[in-house]
Formats: sequence, C-alpha cells, structure tokens
Amino acid sequence: MQVISQLVLDENNIAFHPMMGNSYQLNNISKEIILLLRDNKSKYEVVELLKERYDVSYNELFIDVSDLYSKLRVYGLMV
Amino acid sequence: MRVAVSGLNNTDNPAPGIPVIKSISSKHDVVGFSYDPNEPGNYMSMTEKTYLMPYPSLGFEELKRRLLEIKEKSGVDAIIPNLDAELPLYIKYQDEIEALGIKLCLPSAENFELRNKNRLDVLCEDLGIIYPKTHEVSSISDMQKIVDDGNQFPMMIKGNYYKAYKAYNMESAIEYFYKISNEWGFPVLVQEVVTGDEINLVGVGDGEGVLVGGVSIKKLTTTEIGKIWTGVTIHNDKLMSIAQEFMALTRWKGPFELEVMANLNNVYMIEINPRFPAWVYFATEIGVNLPLMVTDIMEGKKLSPMLTYPQNKMYIRYTGELVTDFNDFIKLLSTKEL
Repeated sequence: MQVISQLVLDENNIAFHPMMGNSYQLNNISKEIILLLRDNKSKYEVVELLKERYDVSYNELFIDVSDLYSKLRVYGLMV
Repeated sequence: MRVAVSGLNNTDNPAPGIPVIKSISSKHDVVGFSYDPNEPGNYMSMTEKTYLMPYPSLGFEELKRRLLEIKEKSGVDAIIPNLDAELPLYIKYQDEIEALGIKLCLPSAENFELRNKNRLDVLCEDLGIIYPKTHEVSSISDMQKIVDDGNQFPMMIKGNYYKAYKAYNMESAIEYFYKISNEWGFPVLVQEVVTGDEINLVGVGDGEGVLVGGVSIKKLTTTEIGKIWTGVTIHNDKLMSIAQEFMALTRWKGPFELEVMANLNNVYMIEINPRFPAWVYFATEIGVNLPLMVTDIMEGKKLSPMLTYPQNKMYIRYTGELVTDFNDFIKLLSTKEL
C-alpha cells in the first residue's frame, strides 16, 4: 500500500503518518491533491481535475503538481 | 504484594522507578530502593519506605545481606529492578533471590547476554532483521584499521552501554573514542550509519514466548542528553512483529525496550534494553499498564496480550518541584532508610 493511503489528514491540514510518527503541514491544494492520489488518480488526471476547479493554466498546474510529487518522494511518502 | 522498585532518580535524566511506581501503586504497596540520598523519588511520598542499597559493584553477598534486612523490616514480596547497573546482579542471582521469598520477573542470564551490543548481530540474524555493521575497538589503531579496510565516514562511535556520536572524519572519531572510553570504558563500538527515524517499543514478555503488552512511540523532541521530552504513539506493524518474534524466539521474561531505526523499507536494530524505559508511564496512561503486567506475571496470573492502544496520543515530560525537611535527607544518609 502506498504510504500516502496511510496518512491521517485532519481539519488543520496536518498529515500524520502513524507508522513512523511524522507529521507534515499541507495547504488546501496539496491536501486536495493527496486526496485525489488516494483515489488512484494519475498525475495527468489530477492536473485535469484541478484545471476544472481552478482558473490556472495547464502548464502551471503540471509544474506545481510535479513539484508536490517530488516532495512526497523526498519524504518517502510515494515510490 | 509489597513491591520494591529501584531507579528513583527523577531529574532531567530520570530513571524508570517513579513511572513504574505510578503504574502499580493502586494495586500494590511500594517500597523504594535507592542508591543515592539525592534521588528525588526518595522524597516524593510515593513509597511506604525507602532503603539505600549497596552499590552493585559490591557483589551479591552485600545485596543478599541487605535484602534479608529489608525483608525482615518491610516484608518485601517482589522487586522490579530498573537500572542497567544493577540488572546483571539481579539476573545472575535471580534463583537465590527468589529462594529468599522475593519474586522477580526477569530474563534468563542467557537472554540478557544475547542482547549485548557486541552480540546483537547474532540475535538479529536469527530474527531476520538488519543490525548495522558493527566493530568492537579498543585502540585508535583498531579504528584506523576499520577505515583502511574500506569503511567510510560518517560512522557512529558508541559506548557499549551508553552514548553515541556521529563522526564525519578520523579526527572527530578519535575525539569521540576518547570521550566514550574515558567515561564508559571499553570496548568502544564503531557502527555503520543507517538512515531512518528512531522509533521505540516498550513491552513485556511472559517468559513463555508471548508478548503480553507493547506500545510503540516516536520521540518528537529530546533533551540535550537525548532523553525524551515529547513523543507520540505510532503503529508500526514491522516493529510489533519484531517484538513478537523476539519473544517467541527467546521466551524473554519481563520488561524490555526495542530501539530501532526505521525507514519505509527496512528496520535496523540499534539496541535492546532489558528493562523499562523512563517513559513507560506513557503506555500506562493510554491503557497498556506494563509494570502491572510484570506484577501479574510474578503472581502467576495468565495474561491475554494487550497490543492495541489509541493513535495520536502525545507524551509530554515536565519538571516539578518539592520542598522537604533536610532532616529526611540526613536520616536517609545516616540510617540508610527513610
């Protein structure tokens, strides 16, 4: 199971990883992206869905989502 | 039962005694065993009586003589020894102490030896987990040889019982070698650095291969000397399985603490302590009363494993103060009891 599925998300945008005891501060959009990833959406699907919800260019969204992907990998939350 | 508990220091480097007393005092009468009149636990009104004990270095005959005196005065039924320095004596002579009519709940001498840092690699191999490559050294030339053999910095320079430093070059390795050996003696251990977060598990084995209680935590902040300040409960299935396999393999009896480094792929064994850690009251407060399990085992009760506990519980250690009569200190110093 991806670690991202094990994260406990709270109303203050804190993600807690119960296996390792680490906490991460998210913002609203990163929390939204994590919830989409937990629904098994691909990176491209995430970008498309965000584009429908926000008035931001596809390129900008793609860069930002890719940036979050990198961060999740750095913290060992995604393979 | 009337249970004697040692480890009454409760300063910035607290021993496990006070948390153990807090865990069992609703069910048992408690007597304190102290090695120093300065220990705060002597004055916290948590024991019926406190006795100064002979230093473990004086050997078993001194301990036996003192235990017989105390048994006659206070009718002690059981002892929970909590200090590294005294455990070898209690473990080696547990049959003799039990013959005095005093119950213990301790691992066998063989199991105690198995978790020594210089033998932990063998146990880890049997448990199928990784123990970072470790060398015993007694001189600078031993350490130089390790580097010459192709091992690279950074390396952990550790005492056999206490203290660990990360050395990034030979110069700092030599500094730490002397620092540790001057304080803690030999051998000094040189260990491969592993990446991950330190996580810990406190547990109790029933001596028949079953882990009857266990709680895992992550230390969030520590004091300057590495003692927990804040921590949070975690649920790490790998760590719990290791603890269960450790019990099944060794039939460990009594308390223990596993210290491991974990990342998402591996768990590396760092240390197995054969006693409660000083944060054991964290487990008690979230419903897993491990010290009480120890007294239940002493009384021959059959325990069902208790391995579940709430998530996201936080532990916060804080300081306290009390004022007592200086005469109490003098009395303990001169009569060896209070």
